[in-house]
Amino acid sequence: MALSGLHKAYGDVHAVDGVDLVIAPGEVVALLGPNGAGKSTTVDVLLGLTAPDRGEASVFGLTPREAVVSGTVGAMLQNGSLLDDATVAEAVGLVAALHRAPLPVAEALARADVADLANRRCTKLSGGQKQRVRFALALVCDPDLLVLDEPTVAMDVETRRQFWRGMREYTDSGRTVLFATHYLEEAQEFADRVVLMRSGRVVADGSVAEVRATVSGRTLRAVVPGAPVADLEALPGVRAVEVRGDGVELACADSDAALRALLARWPAAHDVEITAVGLEDAFLALTAPEEAR
Amino acid sequence: MNARFLALEVRRAVRNARYLLFTIVMPSVMFLLFVNLYGAKDQVFPNGLPVTTSLMINMAVFGLMSAPLAAGARIAVERSTGWQRQLRLTPLSSSGYVLTKGALGMVLALPGILLVLVLGAVVEDVRMSALQWVEVAGGLWLATLPFVLIGIVIGLLATADGMQAITGVLSMAFGLLGGIWIPAEVAPGWLAAVMHVMPTYWVKLVGQAPLVGGADLGTAVLVLGGWVLALGFVAAKRFQTDAARA
Repeated sequence: MALSGLHKAYGDVHAVDGVDLVIAPGEVVALLGPNGAGKSTTVDVLLGLTAPDRGEASVFGLTPREAVVSGTVGAMLQNGSLLDDATVAEAVGLVAALHRAPLPVAEALARADVADLANRRCTKLSGGQKQRVRFALALVCDPDLLVLDEPTVAMDVETRRQFWRGMREYTDSGRTVLFATHYLEEAQEFADRVVLMRSGRVVADGSVAEVRATVSGRTLRAVVPGAPVADLEALPGVRAVEVRGDGVELACADSDAALRALLARWPAAHDVEITAVGLEDAFLALTAPEEAR
Repeated sequence: MNARFLALEVRRAVRNARYLLFTIVMPSVMFLLFVNLYGAKDQVFPNGLPVTTSLMINMAVFGLMSAPLAAGARIAVERSTGWQRQLRLTPLSSSGYVLTKGALGMVLALPGILLVLVLGAVVEDVRMSALQWVEVAGGLWLATLPFVLIGIVIGLLATADGMQAITGVLSMAFGLLGGIWIPAEVAPGWLAAVMHVMPTYWVKLVGQAPLVGGADLGTAVLVLGGWVLALGFVAAKRFQTDAARA
């Protein structure tokens, strides 16, 4: 699927401000960003629910609407509601009946792990159960591309884990998934690729490691008894220092240089630990508003 | 239009206790109540229609109006809860959605009409020929179309919160101003003029036509047709803007 030069404004608010994005078949892509970054609008355009002001979207070479009609795209909407006076099986059955080549309803229910809820009224579901039913609704057209907008909102930890397990089965068959989330661990654990959005633009795009690397630097932690802060700050490659008791935490542009200098100066330093910047730090750094950086 | 979609919609509506109560039971109860309150079972109106028959038709009109209004107005709920967005992710077209809702309104109007007529025949001894029964029922049912469209227009324009009040006020207004609760013949001139624009007035006339000589069916078709065209236009317009937003 491809988005090119996408713009969409609501009044004065540029929800999406020039997004270019190409996703190859088989990729599992996480769309990350703070609230209001334009994730949902991007997803809506991709599904043909919103027409862009400028730019184009195509899915398997079709327009979004054509792709939806052909059943190659399934989606789980953020606030997509269920039919209150129908049972789970009826709601999923209806969506199946509207599609041309659906999965058997029982299979969609089983894959979404809601087979036991088939005869339950949609009003009598917990938040997590509703999300799983929405997942069944997204699966029932047997799509090649699955688009999920904040799929695990309202799920507890265990349900979330189960949900992703079900999702893995689905992607193991080589299908494409794009999911918007603000749970970083989900992106980190599950996505092959992370696309970070801020203020309607893509600010980083790549594997988790690549996105992390765009925010350069590492963190060096060690126990260094009696080292004055000023001396630590003067070490080569160090950007910032934090001291907690004997423990120091050095934010380094060049951790190798900093480590050599540190050990030369304070041979007693121990418990040395160097970590790459986490996705969370990268996320914060990249999605912070311009003026705060 | 999709048969399974329509079938589920009907099933959902029937499950709804409010639908059953207001659109099927209420008109019938009112009919039995009025007949016995009037206590004038054997009297005949100046147009040649027995009081009981006239009340039966009035209450059938009351019944046929409520179901489509309620059914269409539920579109507002589906718009607000996001179920419509969910349906947009299926091959169902926007017009297919509206057509199904229209068909649903027509289907739901039928039981209310039939129950009142059956009670009329069985309990209240209303007598007419088989052909007349079919004409009365069929005429009333066909004349339901403007109300189906009114329901759809409300559903497309109103918010989920507002639609309850709007349908309530509208069915009151259509009932009162359409001569269902008070006959147009006793209304003052200005009110009578208003009544002659109401779809209810003409639907009632369609229902009476098989039994009364010289009913002005041509005007009925004209006025009801006008309502259908105007409402259809509003619905289509509203629908285009909806689709453009999509």
